[in-house]
Amino acid sequence: MLTTEPKVEQKAEVKNHPIIITLGDTVSGAGFLAGVTLSGRALMRQEDDGKWWMYGVRPAAIAESGTTIDEAFLRFRQRYKETLFDIAQESRTFEEFKAEVERFFYESDQDEQVWETALRAVRKCGDVPPPPPFSNLKRESPELRPSAIGVERLDRENKRFTPSDNVTDNFAMAQAA
Amino acid sequence: MSASAAFADVKRMLDDCAKGYTWRLANHSRVVIYNKKVYRSLPKFDDIELGHIRKMVRYLEISQDCAKKHGVI
Repeated sequence: MLTTEPKVEQKAEVKNHPIIITLGDTVSGAGFLAGVTLSGRALMRQEDDGKWWMYGVRPAAIAESGTTIDEAFLRFRQRYKETLFDIAQESRTFEEFKAEVERFFYESDQDEQVWETALRAVRKCGDVPPPPPFSNLKRESPELRPSAIGVERLDRENKRFTPSDNVTDNFAMAQAA
Repeated sequence: MSASAAFADVKRMLDDCAKGYTWRLANHSRVVIYNKKVYRSLPKFDDIELGHIRKMVRYLEISQDCAKKHGVI
């Protein structure tokens, strides 16, 4: 019991929840079809207005809200997709699209540091389960799922398609080492 | 109802706190450029939830004190 109490206190202090996101999209552009697969990072935080906000870390330039963490993720996912569509609209070639999507993904801000701090705070809680509404969320190790984005041209002559190419949208709590 | 600010107030904040910024409309969002960085996901609505503005201010490295002065974060 003596060893558990400090962990519970630490858990209460965690306001920024480190999230790992996985998203897969197919995007049509000017004369090309692209597959975009993202393994990213985000922070989930309940703001003073009571809403849950999902703030992008990788990619950083995006945010969305919801009355629940699931709604915040779904709206974040939709805004991300719309951002890809906007980039496609403004790109004359696949190469331009790929370069801009990669710039969008890799350009960071101060939330990257906040995410790392939040992960350390969560890990200090050890095996104490995260509080609701995160207690039912899948947990993943960021070391096993590094942040990355893949932008692939799909409309190539010799491109082969397989069911294992499919990516399920997912968000998970970053936790175990 | 979530806290929000009118886009006109956001523009006033950018005029004061992010001199040299530009913005344009894309199909789904507003695109704001400042500090050689591009913020692509500002909603197109007239009223914008403060969380979006807070994130844009952090991302574009706009002075938080200056933005707070305008009451939009």
